[in-house]
Amino acid sequence: MLNYRLVATLLLLCIVVFPMATQWAVEPDGNWFRPFVVWAMIVFAAYVAYRHRGPDES
Amino acid sequence: MNPEILLMTAAMLGLGALMARWLSARTRRGGKDLALSLGLFSGTGVFMAMGSIEMAGRYGFSIILALVGFSLVFVLSPLIFAPIRRLNEIIRFATPVDFLTFRFRNKSVAMITCVSLILATLPLILAQITAIQAVASYLLNSDYRLLVLLFTSAALIAINLRSIQVGASNHLGWIMTAAGLLLLPALGFSAWTSIETIFGSLGEMNTWVSDSGQLNIVKRMDLSYSIFTIFLIASFASPIHFSLLVSDNISERQTGMISWAYPLLVLLACIPVFPILWAGISVKSFSPLQEYLYNLPALTSHPLVAGLGTASILLLGLSFSCSLILIWSKILMNSFLLPTKKLYLQPGLSLWLKQRQGLIAVSLIVFCTALSLLVKSRSITDYYLAGFSGLAQLTPGMLAAIYLPNVNRRGFIVGLVAGMSLWLITIALPLLFGDWNWQLPMSDASIQVGMQNWNIWAIEALLVNIALCIIFSVFGPMDAEQKSFAAVCMIDNVYIPARVEIAQKSVAEITSSLRLSLGDAADSEVSKALDNLGFDHAEVRPSALRQLRDNINASLNIRFGVLTANRIMEKSLPVTIPGANEPDDIYLIESALAIHGNRLTGIASELNKLRMHHREIIDNLPIGVISVDQSGEIIKWNTTLADYTGWDSKTVTGSSINDLPEPWGSAISSFIASDSTALDELRLELGDQVRWFSLQKSAQHINPDQDTDIVVLIEDNTNAVNLIQKAIDNERLASVGRLAAGVAHEIGNPVTGIACLAQNLQHETETGQIAESAEQILSQTQRINRIVQSLISFSKGGSALSKSRQKIELQSAAEEAIKLLTMSPSQIVVDFRSAIDPELTIDGDYNQLLQIFLNLLSNARDASPQGGVISITADSTDKHIHLKVSDQGTGIEDSVQSHLFEPFVTSKDPGSGTGLGLWVVFNLVKSLGAEISISSPAENSQCGTTATISFPLSSAV
Repeated sequence: MLNYRLVATLLLLCIVVFPMATQWAVEPDGNWFRPFVVWAMIVFAAYVAYRHRGPDES
Repeated sequence: MNPEILLMTAAMLGLGALMARWLSARTRRGGKDLALSLGLFSGTGVFMAMGSIEMAGRYGFSIILALVGFSLVFVLSPLIFAPIRRLNEIIRFATPVDFLTFRFRNKSVAMITCVSLILATLPLILAQITAIQAVASYLLNSDYRLLVLLFTSAALIAINLRSIQVGASNHLGWIMTAAGLLLLPALGFSAWTSIETIFGSLGEMNTWVSDSGQLNIVKRMDLSYSIFTIFLIASFASPIHFSLLVSDNISERQTGMISWAYPLLVLLACIPVFPILWAGISVKSFSPLQEYLYNLPALTSHPLVAGLGTASILLLGLSFSCSLILIWSKILMNSFLLPTKKLYLQPGLSLWLKQRQGLIAVSLIVFCTALSLLVKSRSITDYYLAGFSGLAQLTPGMLAAIYLPNVNRRGFIVGLVAGMSLWLITIALPLLFGDWNWQLPMSDASIQVGMQNWNIWAIEALLVNIALCIIFSVFGPMDAEQKSFAAVCMIDNVYIPARVEIAQKSVAEITSSLRLSLGDAADSEVSKALDNLGFDHAEVRPSALRQLRDNINASLNIRFGVLTANRIMEKSLPVTIPGANEPDDIYLIESALAIHGNRLTGIASELNKLRMHHREIIDNLPIGVISVDQSGEIIKWNTTLADYTGWDSKTVTGSSINDLPEPWGSAISSFIASDSTALDELRLELGDQVRWFSLQKSAQHINPDQDTDIVVLIEDNTNAVNLIQKAIDNERLASVGRLAAGVAHEIGNPVTGIACLAQNLQHETETGQIAESAEQILSQTQRINRIVQSLISFSKGGSALSKSRQKIELQSAAEEAIKLLTMSPSQIVVDFRSAIDPELTIDGDYNQLLQIFLNLLSNARDASPQGGVISITADSTDKHIHLKVSDQGTGIEDSVQSHLFEPFVTSKDPGSGTGLGLWVVFNLVKSLGAEISISSPAENSQCGTTATISFPLSSAV
């Protein structure tokens, strides 16, 4: 079935979090590695979302 | 020539290969997962190693957005690839072309999608060749372009042919893993050595970046929206992503792992990009930005790191090119060659397929290398931007296939053709042959076509594609076939193969039909499908044959593509689609729900729980339940019925009711065919047992016009029937007993009178002959009395006898019985030997025990030969006293043994016995709470009989 939780999370990310994060990442006085911090947070969120995957079926 | 770096490159290539082989050979989960992630990571080709640095210099932080977009497809895989994966479990798709062909159902779809995919990815191949050439020129320190192209082609041909021969996953997989394995350290060490050597430290680099204004330059985010959008959308349609993520070699857990591992790897690879870029800019390097990865370490005297960089680029270029060429050759064969090929005429089909694919692959490699010589040289970034813009044109169709059931074939084709045409004119051709301006007539304005405006043209081509697709879908017709396959591909659809009818009734028939299309290759296809499903060649169940057909279809989809597989199946194994009013296949629905049940949410999940609850109830009903559909196919067989018959549900479900083994098959099918709704007593001989069943059904008979299945309930009534039979027997015996009592009473009085008269006659006469006659009369009246007493005992049964309980010595009862029998005249003289411990006593009625001994010993004597020995023994255990009476007689026939304790059953000659002795004994023994058994021949002997009575200790004292 359609994963509504994932869709809702993505909508929240696109509408609220992503513009704020982008703005924060490219602030003129910010460090150059700020975009990577945002990216790392996306990776962590993906890890949290998928860490409960079941054992191998294959 | 740079011999030092060349040597390091060779060493790194060897090291990478060794490590990748070692990693791929790991059987542990972590090793396989890492190899898979690295292989997928190298699926971007040389972009991460070369294009990313140039793109960072050109577009600043937009490269980060581009790579986030590119790797976001894995985070979104539950929305994009998971539905296709689920469908792939049954249908099997090798490439996006197969999936789109399956969805839009047409040969033209296959051909247009195939050409579009090849055209879109052609710039990516050119990028790899350009990268390899750049590295080779650097290593050789000279421009041997033709020589390098020759070697590159040879290497590509060798890898491709080997991959076709042994399978891409076996051969190309580890090369991709090796490429990914070298790329990460190459980027990391290159950045680190550059920072250390050029800036001195990370802090000093940060200071330089701020002071030089580079920080503001990279933060400018030029074209960030277009870049992010194109990279995100292109990654959906990437054939390498599709092949890896939809492949059934990857488990659900691994797709979950990839969703965060792939973005993490790309993140780790992207972090060093900016330090490398800034290091190159700070030293004012003359080399192109895309070559910084190996140029800067060489410049800072780090040949090992430079060798790592060049080795990773060579492996990335070769492996990515080979992957694409393999996919190209496969889709070209499936879309153009095989749909019209008569495969059954082709001997050695597997070899022929490999040869043809190899030939196509070699032709493509030659074409690409020749093209790279002819076209204008471009940067890696340009090639990738153009290629991704082209790939993005396939994504609307793929997303529509999953999400928009109303998008039809015409909409997809028109949209794709328009989008690809615009892309070809405005991006692809200018990429290869140079940008150009088109002066608008009657105006000073001109349209600039080419890479300088790639972002505008890429988005516009995408918009034209989407707009035309929607317009033609909204206003165009959609036939029933398209609608049904559109529904099948929907994201929230649980795909259940339709309940179709196939003409073939056995595996042999399927094989012979398939030979009409595949020739000798049909046998191996059928055998493979049987192995996959765990069926054997004797399988005849209709549902199993349908599964076999589906499995063969899936296998052919992978081997020949959807078009050819459809052609073969329609020719050899055609199906009859059920009518609209016919019911769904409950068995298939249940199977699908069992597989996909964990994906259900909300009310669907609750309904599924309810379904499982009801299913459990039916399974655990104490009566057998069988449900048969209109075609006579069994769709439900509960566990109780499995207990009755010995055949579990898995074996029987899907069979035809007429194919059930005897005696059940004819019994159930004739009951279903009959007009009766109930059958009270069905007698079945199951093994050595006779069992009785009652059957009830829900409908009169199978009616094709009705939508209902027939439910048959089967109840085991064996115990009830036995009880009824016993009650009837008891009633019969009781009536015989009452008759016997009456007869005994009526006979007893005259016989007593006769006996008195005979005694008087004996006393009053001296004549020998008369006295002898009187004696005979007395003897016969005594015999009549014995018979009458037996009849009275029978009529009263065991319960009618005295119930006074006292402590009885077994030995004294046995000896008294022997004494009485010895006094009784008999033609047979036997030796009674009692060896009972005087201490053994039981609690009961003495007369009953005496009667038991008398009857048993009398029977033993009658059966014994002259001079035979009748032994009486007793022994005690913890719970019982076992009394045994054994003779040396002829024994009892087997046919009589099972009825010994029934009344009027005797093994003696007619007229010699009433058949009531043992019956009386049986009842007396029961009234004493003991058990009796008869064994013949006797224990430890070849002849004779042993009667064993086991008195429980509760009655023993």
